[in-house]
Amino acid sequence: MSNQYSHEKIIQLRKKRSAADRRFKTYGLIATLMGMAILFFLLFTIFSKGYSSFQKSVIELEVSYDQETLKITSDSTYEEQVKAKFFRVKKNAIAKALPDLSKKDIKLIKKMFSINVDKEIKEYFLNNPNILNTTQKIFVTAHSDVDQLLKGNARRNIEEKKRKLNDRQLEFFDEFVSSGRLKTKFNNFFFKNADSRHPELAGIAGSFVGSLFTLMTVFLLAFPIGIGASIYLEEFAPKNKFTELIEVNIANLAAVPSIVFGLLGLGILLNVFGFPRSTPLVGGTVLALMTLPTIIIACRASLKAVPPSIKEGALAMGASKMQAVFHHQVPLALPGTLTGTIIGLAQALGETAPLIMIGMIAFIPNIPTGFTEPSAALPVQIYLWVESSERGFQEKTAAAIMMILIFLFLMNALAVFLRSKFERKW
Amino acid sequence: MKNIKISSKNVNVHYGAKQALHSVSLNINENEVTSLIGPSGCGKSTFLRCINRMNDLIDICKVDGSITVDNEEIISDEVDVVSLRSKIGMVFQKPNPFPKSIFDNVAYGPTIHGIAESKTDLEEIVHSSLKRAGLLKEVKDRLHEPGTSLSGGQQQRLCIARAIAVNPDIILMDEPCSALDPIATAIIEELIDELKANYTIVIVTHSMQQAARVSQRTGFFHLGELIETGDTQKIFTNPDNEKTQGYITGRFG
Ligand SMILES: Nc1ncnc2c1ncn2[C@@H]1O[C@H](COP(=O)(O)OP(=O)(O)OP(=O)(O)O)[C@@H](O)[C@H]1O
Ligand SMILES: [Mg+2]
Repeated sequence: MSNQYSHEKIIQLRKKRSAADRRFKTYGLIATLMGMAILFFLLFTIFSKGYSSFQKSVIELEVSYDQETLKITSDSTYEEQVKAKFFRVKKNAIAKALPDLSKKDIKLIKKMFSINVDKEIKEYFLNNPNILNTTQKIFVTAHSDVDQLLKGNARRNIEEKKRKLNDRQLEFFDEFVSSGRLKTKFNNFFFKNADSRHPELAGIAGSFVGSLFTLMTVFLLAFPIGIGASIYLEEFAPKNKFTELIEVNIANLAAVPSIVFGLLGLGILLNVFGFPRSTPLVGGTVLALMTLPTIIIACRASLKAVPPSIKEGALAMGASKMQAVFHHQVPLALPGTLTGTIIGLAQALGETAPLIMIGMIAFIPNIPTGFTEPSAALPVQIYLWVESSERGFQEKTAAAIMMILIFLFLMNALAVFLRSKFERKW
Repeated sequence: MKNIKISSKNVNVHYGAKQALHSVSLNINENEVTSLIGPSGCGKSTFLRCINRMNDLIDICKVDGSITVDNEEIISDEVDVVSLRSKIGMVFQKPNPFPKSIFDNVAYGPTIHGIAESKTDLEEIVHSSLKRAGLLKEVKDRLHEPGTSLSGGQQQRLCIARAIAVNPDIILMDEPCSALDPIATAIIEELIDELKANYTIVIVTHSMQQAARVSQRTGFFHLGELIETGDTQKIFTNPDNEKTQGYITGRFG
């Protein structure tokens, strides 16, 4: 019977189709798992390389705040205390860091401390001025070479010449460790300092604040311009060849490599208009150009997605075109626009090439306090650290990547939050 | 003899190259309900949208001919469409409340036109509009809930309340009951009957019974032409044109 025959064929086909379904599901699952595995591997490597830079090594010193050495008295004013000779106190303390040190030993042991030690000794005193003429046990920051050895990042069982610390210094190191005077603690410098030539003092604060200023510039420039342009193009512009050309070119602009925007900033903002070099203002302006098309495309898409019946309803009530747009369409398009804007800002946060072009790659040891002050930015800081040969900077690189990722996650969380806050149903 | 409120003469509408209305001439009387009937795609909505110039929103739509409202020409570039539309309210086929509260939906028109003198004034307008639209009882405890949380029929009455809140002269309704059940339809028909004392109403409908129930005059459209107009009674009992006869008896359409 032909009927039965065709029936069999249909059953066969159905089996084939559900097999295809299952296969496809498996492929999808494998792809997702692979993606997640790669992501976790990435995060794990970054974290395992970077987490140690949230710790620093400190060595205990016995500091005697002797008024003769400091050249102050108990009646001295705060200004006099600030100018007191703390470097002499430090020198004495280091010379007695371990018992029976020769002159040569002192020279060697001095290199095991950070150059920041006098400041730490001074700070400790300024916080407790009544310790004059007493002896205090203070943990002060160790040199990066000691730090790396303690954290196990540097190897000790290699030829002396290839090591940062020589055999004698290793003896001191072991003595400090065995007496419990060398330990790690939370690295406050990493979070409160700007960049530094000394790895143990280098921090992320300068470039973090620089990135913050840069992103603010991007937002303040690109958001209003982007929204204005989108509303004009979507609602007011006559539909002709010229606006079509503009639309095509906005899409093109979104695809222009970022380094080209950097060249533009260098050629026009710096050389023609004389904007101050390596500042968040210039960096932000250049990145705003790059972000603009992303914002425009997102904003126009969300304006388009507003049901036309809402606009018709408003216009039929006798609302002017502008009222229809601003009272009804813009509020509904806002969540999508904000999401697009934050995606654009996230892109801008990670851009390195254009910032290098406009000189934001300079070594800046200060935390910027304004838009027109030379500053670093997070991605450029990563670039600078990964380039430097000192081992101490390697863990900083990974830690800085962690910071940029956290920044990005926070921004995305903000996007999700704003979306759910402003989203309205219709 | 009633006053003529809206008068169209030789109105042609093109969507691009396609002609949707052919030389439509129709008079609409003041304080009456005029219904427009005809098979799908014959141009009823198109004609309705000419009266408040909503066709301006469609780029490819070209309207020529003459339409006067209160003896003033409205098919002209000089016409201020914003003031025209504040005089002519429109209720759409699909309820389209704004994604705002019930109160704000009704208050929107009075607010943008600056009709309300004060906040209490505005509240008064909102309440009376909702009352006239027969919705107040159902929503008076939830004025600050979103308009979109109402049922379809309630939404449609909200849209009617919104339209009458600005106190227009004319209300255009494009199949206002097409998405509603018989009970909601009956409520709206009753409302239309009451509203005609103060407003001129033009209603597009696919329901012959509805046209017969609510309207005093009827126009029958077919393939973009206005075939016949006249008193509703006459159109439904003794039409002059065969096509009209055919449509109302259900032989085509
Ligand atoms: N925006 C538009 N673009 C192009 N053609 C259109 C447009 N709107 C309507 N038309 C055409 O104009 C003609 C009349 O349409 P219209 O919407 O006025 O019909 P209608 O009588 O309201 O039909 P229905 O009862 O189905 O709502 C139709 O042939 C339709 O294809
Ligand atoms: Mg229609």
